[in-house]
Amino acid sequence: MAFSSLEAPPVLSTPETHIFEDPTPTTFNPSEAALSPEEVYTRYEIKRTVQEIRQGKWRRIALQFPDDMLQDAPKVFEALSSGLKVARETEPSEPSDASDKVDQLAEEVQEVDISATRASAEASQESDEEKLFILADTSYGACCVDEVAAEHVNADVVVHYGRSCLSPTARLPVIYVFTRRELSIEHVLQAFKGTFPEKAQKVILMADVTYAHHITSIYELLNKDGYTSLYATSIIHDPSSPLPNRTIPKEVVDDHTLLQEYKLFHISDPPQSLLMTLSSRVSDVFIYPTNTPTSSPQALQASTSLALRRRYAIITKLSTVPIFGILINTLSVKNYIHIVDHVKERIAAAGKKSYTFVVGKVNAAKVANFSEIGGWVIIGCWESSLIESKDFWKPIITPYELELALKDDEERIWTGEWRGDFQGVLDEAQSQRATQQANGVSKEKGLQTGTEETAAHGEDPDSEPESAPPEFDLRTGRYVSHTRPMQYMQYASPSDGAIGNGSGGTSAPKSVNDARGPGASLVKRFAGDLATVGGQVSPGAEFLRSNRTWKGLGSDFEIAYDEEGSNDIQGAPVEEGRSGIARGYTVGDDAPKR
Amino acid sequence: MVNFTIDEIRGLMDKPANIRNMSVIAHVDHGKSTLTDSLVQRAGIISAAKAGEARFTDTRQDEQDRGITIKSTAISLYAQLPEGEDVNEIPQKVDGNDFLINLIDSPGHVDFSSEVTAALRVTDGALVVVDCVEGVCVQTETVLRQALTERIKPVVVINKVDRTLLELQVSKEDLYQTFARTIESVNVIIATYFDKALGDVQVYPDKGTVAFGSGLHGWAFTVRQFAVKYAKKFGVDKNKMMERLWGDNYFNPKTKKWTKSGTHDGKPLERAFNQFILDPIFKVFNAVMNFKKDEIDTLLTKLDIKLASNETELEGKQLLKTVMRKFLPAADALLEMMVIHLPSPVTAQRYRMETLYEGPHDDEAAIGIRDCDPKGTLMLYVSKMVPTSDRGRFYAFGRVFSGTVRSGLKVRIQGPNYTPGRKEDLFVKSIQRTILMMGRYIEPIDDVPAGNILGLVGVDQFLLKSGTLTTLETAHNMKVMKFSVSPVVQRSVEVKNAQDLPKLVEGLKRLSKSDPCVLTSISESGEHIVAGAGELHLEICLKDLEEDHAGVPLRISDPVVQYRESVNGESSMTALSKSPNKHNRLYVTAQPLGEEVSQDIEQGKINPRDDFKARARILADEHGWDVTDARKIWCFGPDTTGANLLVDQTKAVQYLNEIKDSFVSGFQWATKEGPIAEEPMRAVRFNVMDVTLHADAIHRGGGQIIPTARRALYAATLLADPGLLEPVFLVEIQVPEQAMGGIYGVLTRRRGHVFSEEQRPGTPLFNVKAYLPVNESFGFSSDLRAATAGQAFPQSVFDHWQLLPGGSPLDPSSKPGQVVQEMRKRKGIKVEVPGYENYYDKL
Repeated sequence: MAFSSLEAPPVLSTPETHIFEDPTPTTFNPSEAALSPEEVYTRYEIKRTVQEIRQGKWRRIALQFPDDMLQDAPKVFEALSSGLKVARETEPSEPSDASDKVDQLAEEVQEVDISATRASAEASQESDEEKLFILADTSYGACCVDEVAAEHVNADVVVHYGRSCLSPTARLPVIYVFTRRELSIEHVLQAFKGTFPEKAQKVILMADVTYAHHITSIYELLNKDGYTSLYATSIIHDPSSPLPNRTIPKEVVDDHTLLQEYKLFHISDPPQSLLMTLSSRVSDVFIYPTNTPTSSPQALQASTSLALRRRYAIITKLSTVPIFGILINTLSVKNYIHIVDHVKERIAAAGKKSYTFVVGKVNAAKVANFSEIGGWVIIGCWESSLIESKDFWKPIITPYELELALKDDEERIWTGEWRGDFQGVLDEAQSQRATQQANGVSKEKGLQTGTEETAAHGEDPDSEPESAPPEFDLRTGRYVSHTRPMQYMQYASPSDGAIGNGSGGTSAPKSVNDARGPGASLVKRFAGDLATVGGQVSPGAEFLRSNRTWKGLGSDFEIAYDEEGSNDIQGAPVEEGRSGIARGYTVGDDAPKR
Repeated sequence: MVNFTIDEIRGLMDKPANIRNMSVIAHVDHGKSTLTDSLVQRAGIISAAKAGEARFTDTRQDEQDRGITIKSTAISLYAQLPEGEDVNEIPQKVDGNDFLINLIDSPGHVDFSSEVTAALRVTDGALVVVDCVEGVCVQTETVLRQALTERIKPVVVINKVDRTLLELQVSKEDLYQTFARTIESVNVIIATYFDKALGDVQVYPDKGTVAFGSGLHGWAFTVRQFAVKYAKKFGVDKNKMMERLWGDNYFNPKTKKWTKSGTHDGKPLERAFNQFILDPIFKVFNAVMNFKKDEIDTLLTKLDIKLASNETELEGKQLLKTVMRKFLPAADALLEMMVIHLPSPVTAQRYRMETLYEGPHDDEAAIGIRDCDPKGTLMLYVSKMVPTSDRGRFYAFGRVFSGTVRSGLKVRIQGPNYTPGRKEDLFVKSIQRTILMMGRYIEPIDDVPAGNILGLVGVDQFLLKSGTLTTLETAHNMKVMKFSVSPVVQRSVEVKNAQDLPKLVEGLKRLSKSDPCVLTSISESGEHIVAGAGELHLEICLKDLEEDHAGVPLRISDPVVQYRESVNGESSMTALSKSPNKHNRLYVTAQPLGEEVSQDIEQGKINPRDDFKARARILADEHGWDVTDARKIWCFGPDTTGANLLVDQTKAVQYLNEIKDSFVSGFQWATKEGPIAEEPMRAVRFNVMDVTLHADAIHRGGGQIIPTARRALYAATLLADPGLLEPVFLVEIQVPEQAMGGIYGVLTRRRGHVFSEEQRPGTPLFNVKAYLPVNESFGFSSDLRAATAGQAFPQSVFDHWQLLPGGSPLDPSSKPGQVVQEMRKRKGIKVEVPGYENYYDKL
């Protein structure tokens, strides 16, 4: 069919309207009126920032803004530099702090020569001046501190503005400025009383970081009103706390299940991952919305059961996936290397294959490029790891969910608990390992049976080995074969008797790196053999070998619908092409031989 | 006492000419299990006294309690035919007069028809049981049709003759007419599904392919049996006698001549059938039921029946039962009929091979099946899984079609999705043990040659419901069974206690295995779904799940139906979607695929695995497709087998080959979760009209094409007047005339409509056929019973998909719109259906 509109050549360049399209929705209203200098001063906590910078004696300071606050960046920059200037001039060059003095003294005693250089440095006012940098367009989520970008400018410290996931950082100190938001306390109190008429009800007060400074005043006012069992949270930097990044009531510290007795009152809409975490830990979550324009908003009870059930469906879907992709979506969260290793290990132990990818902001197009990947595990900060969009070709899960997906069907229990951070996963693995060592159980159950099977097949190397049974895909209700390709490989190499002695993850590569392995001897190729790349069983290559119909070398225009005729469509003959460098290519044999 | 040993049976297994594999099929409550009892009793497995009441093949407690068969049950019996004439009469090769009968008793309720299908696959003959009073019913027709399409030869037994005599007190001629009518209606069905390869398999009493009897009382006869007796007496040829004993044949006692006219000198003559066959039976009934002691004694001596001492004391029905059982033992009539008229595996596999085997008809496996060769390559079809006493383990129940299977043999297990040369659904495994299925018992056996039915131990982990076992590396699959029922009714289950989840999951796996039809899955919204053919089927499955397979308390939702998304027209404009990098454009239109094509795809007549040329031919000849279009079908979907097609209609597009896989992936994705309510799509044909692609391969990779293809397909669907399809039951109701009014009221309230209404000849009963949306069918039976004072008996079976009437599903004020909103709410997705603008890009 011809399209009249197509007669002109299509414009293939990206129109500029698309350039600044940011697909991630923002929680704030970006169209706020420009702030007055005073407002900037209070909202961005200029005073505290200056103080902390002076205290830390940092010289190069990176200011990280989320996209919707970038408009204020120049003002904040101005305010900060003038604030710092004032501070420099008013304060004596030697900090007057008592503790600092002690430090200083100690240093001077120990390192006299260094103090000399410092003195010379301090003599020059110019070098003492702090340098500020604005970081825009963060590589990952705006909630995370972009350490890598900060390191590009050799920053000593990052000032992070806006709401934050408070994930621990590995390399740089961070000053968090949550930016304070106004809140009509009266309305909150009203809504609270409307929600909890029972004065003895155990309620946890929690607010988004941008409203957190109101908590204490609300708490006091409510106490005055006769509420007896309230608990006001304050911010701590611990995403794996039962209430992420918040303190928990004393009585709960030892027994987290006691949280179930509490209801939670949350000011402002929490991000989905926080909501799911919270609702799995406390009995009820009520949300006081802050972005609705109505004068007297109601606190709404949040329901996450549907969202959690969808996650459960995804988990069960991924339990039969043979190939996982590990998406590293952060470079700044502390421990991300550990969790990557841990996830790899778990996937390998389950006899599955994993490939590791590093991407910036995740989008559907990026991950759909790898059609051999059955599911993705995202390693990122706990707030941005929950990606629920339907646009993704294959689902994306968190390390916590992966643990569930890799569990045997006989063990998987879905209580509705959910967590976004991976620290908990690591801790759990740690404690498990400890108990396992204590019990002397070092082998995985699956591996053990694998060893037995291998031993049994060793007797009869000429015949095809017996297959591993298929797995029941709960999602579709069908059997799926080859869900554990790496385990299959262990079955398939009877020459290697040592398999299974090591722990799950390491035994696979060891056997393949064995010098006798690839190419050293002639091995019969079974019909059911998997593709190998460089002697490694490669489920990725196997996927392409068996599932891709386009093999290259053929007509670009004709699809071989005619299967007999397909032999007639000749592929282009292989010819020697051009070679050399741009200064002068040579074609075929014309090359002057030197 | 069991009158045969396993060794004897094993010996007979080597003589395929003397094996009869047969299933007992019928409408619900026509007396299959009861009749089977008389055969089981003959083999000495149950006592004569219990036969007819024990229902030995109803092995489950709930089958006994409810009085219906739920699972098909197999049993192997040993039978001996008297040497001589009988054996010589068998129209096929035989080897001695010992026979092995592998018999499968099947359920009659329509909800369990999948069990019947599984039984038919492994048998060659069918004993069709028809209730003398009720006549041919819906399910009789359905199972008969299934049998004939599987090329299974039927013989008929007309059951419950005792009821007509005792309860209805009909006259001899009336009874004859009833018989004749019933046989006629059976033959009408058989003639409708005439298959050249199978030949004429209509049944005729005068050829001995019809028996009459009473399963409950344990007696039955064929015309042949009487013919043998009278042939001696009259000194005529037995075959001639048989002809005379049925139809318009009369014996004129005055002239001592046989005649074709029913009158002599103006006086009516008695039909030969009535005179020679029914008369003695009527006399016995009369004498016994009217307590005419003397008459009984004379009759007994006349008929040469000796009663044991304790039996002489009996009276009334008990005596009648004893006498009739001695006079005309049911097992004799049935065995004789089966042995003589049903084909042996050798005979049957010769013509069944082409319907059984997917591969070329001249390869090693096909020849092995055709010749029923015990030395050939192993071809074994597992048609269902039978739970063992060991929880969670199953016997694989099937039949050896070629070769010999023995314990320890390493076989290739090919699941239903296996294609030769690929690895999916292919497993290698040794068979642990082979066993013989004997109703509720099993007997181990060393090896089983071709033509026999058996159970396998140790392969259950590899087979979900059915599969092919072979030793040949190039073997194709045996044809996958097509069920006449579909799992359209579903309920979701959840555990009451979260800790029990693993048990539920395990239970769902087992449930899925234990029933050929049930589907268990997890929906996109995280609910555990059990889908069955009807309410009763689901009820039984869920009971099994809760009490047996999972063994944990469950919360069960109300039944819901699954909808399908479809289109009613062609896309109003070509849908265009651009890839995320804006460098690639896909142009797609959607149009209805047509009900016939969709049904053909669903019934496997048009198959994605067919040769594409043959398929194009069918589409062009039968459905009016353009041949070149029909050859350019990229794929079926969802799951590569569904009833949606993606057709390439582009002209000379560069690099199209490269993006085909990505496009197909996007198509599978889109058809699995449609744009309206994330339900699967059905009966949509998508045309790829044009494609513009970036010149660099990296810019037209899967990441750019897959999501874009989905968007384009969604836009095309939304532009083509989308609609929701709902499943519709075909309901067949038997009802006396006076209760007809009630039916109409109930049906109208439930959006059903009657399309056929027939009086059963000779009875006041009417057969009403109606279409009823499945969604409205919940509680229909009880509603109907209430409205008709319990006189109407409905049978519902999924028939087709129909557009949910009432407007566009995109309009939230219409009924479909509300259904959609409800579904989206349940699934936890945004309640409003996104418009096509969300998927459509402007050029």
